[in-house]
Amino acid sequence: MNSDVVLQLALQGFLMGGVYGLIALGLSLIFGVMKVINFAHGEMMVFAMFLSITLLLWGGLDPYLSLVIVAAVMFGVGYGIQRVFVNRILELPEAMQVLVLVGLGIIFENGTLMIWGGSDFSPKTSLALSSFRWGPVTVDVPRLIAFILAIVITLMVLLFLKKTNIGKSIRAAADNRYGALIIGAHINRIYGICFGIGAACVGAAGALLVPLMPAKATMGAPYTMVSFVIVILGGMGSLIGALIGGLIIGVAESLSTVFLPSSMKQVVSFTIMIVILLFKPQGLFGGKG
Amino acid sequence: MKEEQVKPQGIDRRTFLKTSAAVGAVTAITGFPAIVRSQPKEIIIGSIQPVTGPLPDIGISMQRGNKLAADEINAKGGIKSLGGAKIKLLLGDNEAKEEVGRLVAERFLKDGAVCLVGPFLSGVAMAIATLAEQRNIPFVIDVAALDAITAKGYKNVFRCFPKTEYFMTSLGRYLDQIIKEKKVTIKRIALTNAGDAFGRGQGAAFLKYVKDHKLPFEIVEHIEYPLGVKDLSAEVTKIKAAKPDLLCPVARPGDAKLLIRELYKQRVELMGIISPGSPGWYEPEFVKDMDKLAYYVLDNVPWVNPKSSKFQDANNRFEKLYPGKYLDTNSGYAYTGVMVIADALERAKSTDPAALREALRKTNYKDHPMVGGPVVFDEKGDNINATAAMVQVLPDPNMDDRVKVVLPKEAAQAPYVFPWKQLWDRG
Repeated sequence: MNSDVVLQLALQGFLMGGVYGLIALGLSLIFGVMKVINFAHGEMMVFAMFLSITLLLWGGLDPYLSLVIVAAVMFGVGYGIQRVFVNRILELPEAMQVLVLVGLGIIFENGTLMIWGGSDFSPKTSLALSSFRWGPVTVDVPRLIAFILAIVITLMVLLFLKKTNIGKSIRAAADNRYGALIIGAHINRIYGICFGIGAACVGAAGALLVPLMPAKATMGAPYTMVSFVIVILGGMGSLIGALIGGLIIGVAESLSTVFLPSSMKQVVSFTIMIVILLFKPQGLFGGKG
Repeated sequence: MKEEQVKPQGIDRRTFLKTSAAVGAVTAITGFPAIVRSQPKEIIIGSIQPVTGPLPDIGISMQRGNKLAADEINAKGGIKSLGGAKIKLLLGDNEAKEEVGRLVAERFLKDGAVCLVGPFLSGVAMAIATLAEQRNIPFVIDVAALDAITAKGYKNVFRCFPKTEYFMTSLGRYLDQIIKEKKVTIKRIALTNAGDAFGRGQGAAFLKYVKDHKLPFEIVEHIEYPLGVKDLSAEVTKIKAAKPDLLCPVARPGDAKLLIRELYKQRVELMGIISPGSPGWYEPEFVKDMDKLAYYVLDNVPWVNPKSSKFQDANNRFEKLYPGKYLDTNSGYAYTGVMVIADALERAKSTDPAALREALRKTNYKDHPMVGGPVVFDEKGDNINATAAMVQVLPDPNMDDRVKVVLPKEAAQAPYVFPWKQLWDRG
């Protein structure tokens, strides 16, 4: 295995890692604020992929443009889910929360199946097949765009949380729910918005993946798992941790094919997760744990 | 809210009395639900295909193939030797999982199925085959290639599809012909396969064939990836680094699309793709979505015989029922599977499993739409006349006509193209 191949693999993994980071960002944000793990995350992403594909097939709208619409729709969906379902289970034991969210995942998956069927969808998009040589490596353009947009969206979310009033309320609510309530924050609205942002992030990630891989209604579950692994790696609730964790998992999975059979790729991510849980259970960027 | 909407739920005494009187009267007149003896009874056959899970395109098309045959038989008056008994096809979903396949089979046997048909996947076929053998119920495999399924010599298992060994014999013959006719030298081959039972079996059989026959190829890379994989960029990087002349992939619909796009984006130079025999390269979805990128892929695969009248008749009905779809190897064999069962029922003159099994053993079913001779089962239940054709996706303004048989010559619809035009040179 020569160094060019290793470089190529690392680059591909790194670029994919940006998208992984964006997917995990939503999960981490929701967990950080509400202490609820969104087990419907991967399924929501697939739903968003299909929204984007529909806009492409019906309206001729490129996924990079429809991303905005898809993210907005997913924001609404997320907001609604929080107010209708998740808000009622915040005080319940974790095992019960899991049931509701896994149930939502099943509804999303089967809803997608009912609307779009079970086939692989990979419609033609303008940039799906473009790539260019850059020194010794080939750069896959849709992957590069996905990476750049994922990073931009991540930074925007971070800025939003730091600079705006709603962002500050979200962070306040994450820090201390009752404290935020006492000083008059609309806690239900804040939670709704927060879940909405999480859903919008994963929706945007879904749109970015459309030019990269065939979409299929039943492909969501592994993405819930991988974002869960990333969030554990980066630190539960840490947003920058989600991004870095995504990059690490992306590169690790890609490079693992140098010495492991491809079918063992996932072993690497789960091994990393177990090692982290053993030696740094709060994650790389986690606070007090 | 209006008042009349707020009624107590449930049934009051009067409604109950009225309804039960009516039901009683109807039962007395028609004899329902007592068994109706004068009408021809139904023969239950369980179809178990991967309708959801990672392979729904194929699962759905196979279920449709099974149904096409059952509907045809019923429309022509059912099983005549059994007083025109109609076939009732139970439609089951194995989700591409062994344990689900077995569970569904078990449920169908409980529901009174006299025979099972399915299930596309070799792993699932193994699971159902053991159950069928335990319960002594015939199981007709329409599609599933792994040699091991029939190797144990089960009495109740019959396979219409060619086994892996037949695939390789056919591939060897075609490869030899292509190399001689086109005067090309192929030295370096990269092999990929999906990591399910069939993918592994087919990949291993290819390696074994090359080794046993001392073919002058070097396998420079062998890559296995999980079923339902969503990213093959790293794998294609490795293929590119190995500099193969030829890529031999054992794929599935989703990964075939991923593979071809990555080969394009990473500019992997090849003389072509010749699949040792796998789905992924000929389904309407692949041909449509990949368009020009789908061209020139050769696939050594059991196929419909475009020149047989049986095919034309069945395919016409299939295309009418499901616009944009056509009978391919899987739906074609799914159709054949149910036809073989119906043929055996006709000769058995009974739905008794033992009689049906004996009739299946004596099958000599000529009137099927596939390339290959009549369906005849050997002592292990393998169809000795099953074989593969070489199909190639060729430019044609009509999407539905792009997949063409190119070898053997007697079934060929067009001459084949090899080496191919590089993926990025196709305008």
